Order: sequence, then structure tokens, then C-alpha cells
Amino acid sequence: MSDDREYYAGVDIGSAFIKAVLINQKQIVSYEILSSRGHYKETARKVLDQVLNKGRVRFDMLSGIVVTGIGAESAPFQARQFSDISCQAAGCRSLFSSARIVIDIGGQFTRAVKLTPQGRVANFLMSEKCATGSGRFLQVIARILRINVEDIGPLSLKSQSPVEFSTNCAVFAESETISRIAEGARMEDILAGVHRALAAKAAVLVKRLGMEQDVVLTGGGGEDSGLVSAVSEALEVDVLVPEQPRLTAALGAATLAKEENDKTH
Amino acid sequence: MHFAGLDIGSTMTKAVIVDGHGAMMASVIGPTGAEHRHLALAVMDETIKKADLNFEQLDFIVATGYGRINVPFADKQITEITCHSRSVRALFPTARIIIDIGGQDSKGIKLDAQGKVTNFVMNDKCAAGTGRFLEVIAETLGIKLTEMGELSLKAKDFVRISNTCTVFAEHEVTSRLTEGATIPEIVAGLHEAFAGRVVNMVRSLGIEKDVVVTGGGAMNIGLIKAVEEKVGFRVLVPQEPLLTGALGAALMGKDLLARGVTSERKRRLEGVTFFK
Repeated sequence: MSDDREYYAGVDIGSAFIKAVLINQKQIVSYEILSSRGHYKETARKVLDQVLNKGRVRFDMLSGIVVTGIGAESAPFQARQFSDISCQAAGCRSLFSSARIVIDIGGQFTRAVKLTPQGRVANFLMSEKCATGSGRFLQVIARILRINVEDIGPLSLKSQSPVEFSTNCAVFAESETISRIAEGARMEDILAGVHRALAAKAAVLVKRLGMEQDVVLTGGGGEDSGLVSAVSEALEVDVLVPEQPRLTAALGAATLAKEENDKTH
Repeated sequence: MHFAGLDIGSTMTKAVIVDGHGAMMASVIGPTGAEHRHLALAVMDETIKKADLNFEQLDFIVATGYGRINVPFADKQITEITCHSRSVRALFPTARIIIDIGGQDSKGIKLDAQGKVTNFVMNDKCAAGTGRFLEVIAETLGIKLTEMGELSLKAKDFVRISNTCTVFAEHEVTSRLTEGATIPEIVAGLHEAFAGRVVNMVRSLGIEKDVVVTGGGAMNIGLIKAVEEKVGFRVLVPQEPLLTGALGAALMGKDLLARGVTSERKRRLEGVTFFK
């Protein structure tokens, strides 16, 4: 009998955060996100221990573990590795079977993945490693405006006339923001302008892949309501956002661990 | 005869007055800054006083640089590409490539054997490869932009900086510091990365001897050395690398007058309006 006492873990070792998801045959059991601060090994171990504790599962009860992310090599336990693209795709298709495009807006770059109707990776594109193409742009501007990253979305949604930046570089946009504020620009219009610029970059990637519905937005960008709205506007569709947009790759890693196990049994 | 050149750059405003032989009589350099919209006037005025002249004694005034539009006291606006090549040709007749490293952009200019501009490339889209890159990171490291050159010479080796983007390089630099890299090694690494980016851009023009480096970047000895490493030979640097644009503008005024072009506009010595 395949019962709900079979457990699988997925660990996503990212550059800033390490995420883990524990699933059984039917559903998500527990999850955790911890800041790594450069300590990949210790944090990866800690994140896994925490999801196991929360789920009241012992390490030796796991039927499979998959690690992914930029730091996958430094996993302190035996695990299979999958690319973060495969994991992102697997996580999204387990949540939204209708997903055809996945946009991942993270702290370092933006990535768009195209899925086949079966939910396999058909193609993907990444932005350059440039602050203007990533969530880092928002962090830079939020720092100047002296607001918390969590407040960016709600504020941006109030904007009536988003600022149009004359530059495509976050460093130059930073000085432009200072001059705009001196000229009396509103904070919400500046933020909405940043959201528009980011959404435009994501839309370029999606158009190059060929737009299809549904579109899912993951990564830290999915937690920013202003960005979600800007991406929806740029693509002229309502994008879908997971409840925990930063966990999709870890969730995908766990579901791939389960699929691998199912294949061999 | 007296000719004035005014170069309103993104970071600095420069003015030069030359005599009828093209010899420099006076020069002034002041910060442009967002709140210094009247500075162009102040810099011009100061240069006139330094040359012991009055405004009416200037026969021709040429404005250049990104703020050259709407200078009410200029007779003509000329692009910085033309002005740079004019003065570099006068200073170094053997020049074939000019690399101008400014506060917010960088350019490569190709000259033929007669000193005519045949092609140019420019980066003003991205802070990497412009003075701003070093400015941002100097602040992170808590050092002065002007001391970076000397500092980097103390390094035996350099730390490789893998990020092009200034924002990510800033983060990379802090990580390298916590790992124990020294500031001179990091600054040398920044110069290496910077020179790589600028020289790669200029490579599309075909690099030929002699190469002249101008702009604020030319005042950084570490950066000059890094550029020399990349091109594979010594480069030439003017004595006053910040003034080549303004000097070229003044010399262009002299050329124009010699060709019979005279000032038609009624000039007013008053403030500059930007972005209108």
C-alpha cells in the first residue's frame, strides 16, 4: 500500500536563502525558509532538520531527498541533484497544472521558463546578471526611499502616474530617484516606475519564448503585489501566484524525489 | 583673439580659454551636480577673470558635453566626440584611439592618420565601465576615489571581480573583504575588471597605436596601468586629462572663426537651463 507515511524532502540552496519542503504521498507536510548568510552547509542542515521536526519525521524515514539551487553542491547530506529550472517547473506544475510559462523574479536575475502541456521544460531564458533585471533594483530604490521591502507592493498599487526612468541601470536610476524626489515626485509613482521597468524586462523574456497561458510568477517577486500587478499588465493576463512563491523550487525538488522513487518501485 | 570652451559633463563642468595661437590662458574645473545649475556660469565667469579678460573680449564660445544645450552665452554647441578629438590631435598627433572615461559614461573614438574621427563607441547605459562604478565601490570600502590609483599599486596581486553589474560587484567586494582580501588587492581587481570592460568595448573599433586616455579615469594611475595591461602597450595621458573636452571646444571656436564663421547670436552671460 502506498500510504501517507512515505516522505520526501526538497532543499533549494539559493544565494541568500535556503528553502526546504517536506511532502508525503498526498500533500505538503511542512516547509521552512532560512537566511544562509554564506553558511550553506550549516544552514542547509538546519533547514532540513526544522522541516523534519515540524513534520515529526526522522531523517531515516525519508524515501528520497533532492537538492537544487546555486549551492546544491554544498549539501551536507546524500541527495540527488536536479537543476533549479527542472525543480521550478515541477513545483509549478504540481500547484497549477495549467501553467505554461513560469516567471521567476529573484534577487539576482529574472528567469522565464516555458512548459509543455505535460509540464516538462520546453525552453528557458535568463536576464543578464544586472540589478535592473532583478529584485535587487527594488532593494536599491527602497533603501533610498527609506521604506521596508514589504511595504513596496501596497504603496506602488496606489500610484496614479508611474515615473518613467530615463535609464536602464539601477545605479543611475538611484541618482535619478534622488533628483525626482527633489522635484516633488511621489514615492508610490517611483516604486510603480521600478515595477514597470522590471515587468517590461520579464515580458521581453516571455515574448521571446512565445507567450502562452497560464503564467505563474514565483520567487521573491511573487510576494510583491505591485510587481504582480505590473507583470499582469505588461503581459495583459492575470498571472497566477503560489501561496509561497519562494518555495516552488524546493517543492519541485520534493516532488521530483517522489517521482524518482515511484519510477523505481 | 580669445576663444572659450565650456564642457558640461555629468559630474564636472570645465572651462578653458585659449589665445589666438591656441595656447591655454586659463582653466577652471567645478562640480556639475544636480543643484548646481548656475555653475556653468560661475565656472565661465571665473575662467574669464583668471585670464584677466572680460566677457566681450571672447571672440567665440563653444559649449560641449552632455549639458551643452541651452548655454545662453555660447555661440555654438559641438559634440564631445568632435571636441575631444580636436584637442587630442593637437596634443598627440600620433593618436589613433581615444578612450575617454567620464563620471557617467565612457567612450572610444577612432581617428585616421589625419586625425579625423572615423568611428566611435559609447557606453552611457550601464554604470559598469564608468567613473560611477569606482565611486560607488570607493564609498563601500570607505576610501576616497582619488586615492584608489595609488592604493592599488601597493597590491602584489589582484582579487578577481566576477560581477559586471556595479550593484552586485559592491556585494562581491564586501564578501571578499570578509574573506580576508586586502583593500589594495580589491581595488587592483576593480581596476582590472573596469579596464577589461572599457578595452573590450573599444576593441570593436580596432585598437591601434597610439592610444590616449582622457577624462577623470585618466587621473587614476592604477586604472591606466590596468588599461595598458589589456591593450598590451603604454598609453598616453594628457597633463590635464579632465580638460580635453573644453580645450577642444575652445580650439574648435578658433577653427570656426578662421573659416569665417562668426557669432550671429546675441550672447548673454547668464545661467544655464538644463533639460528644457
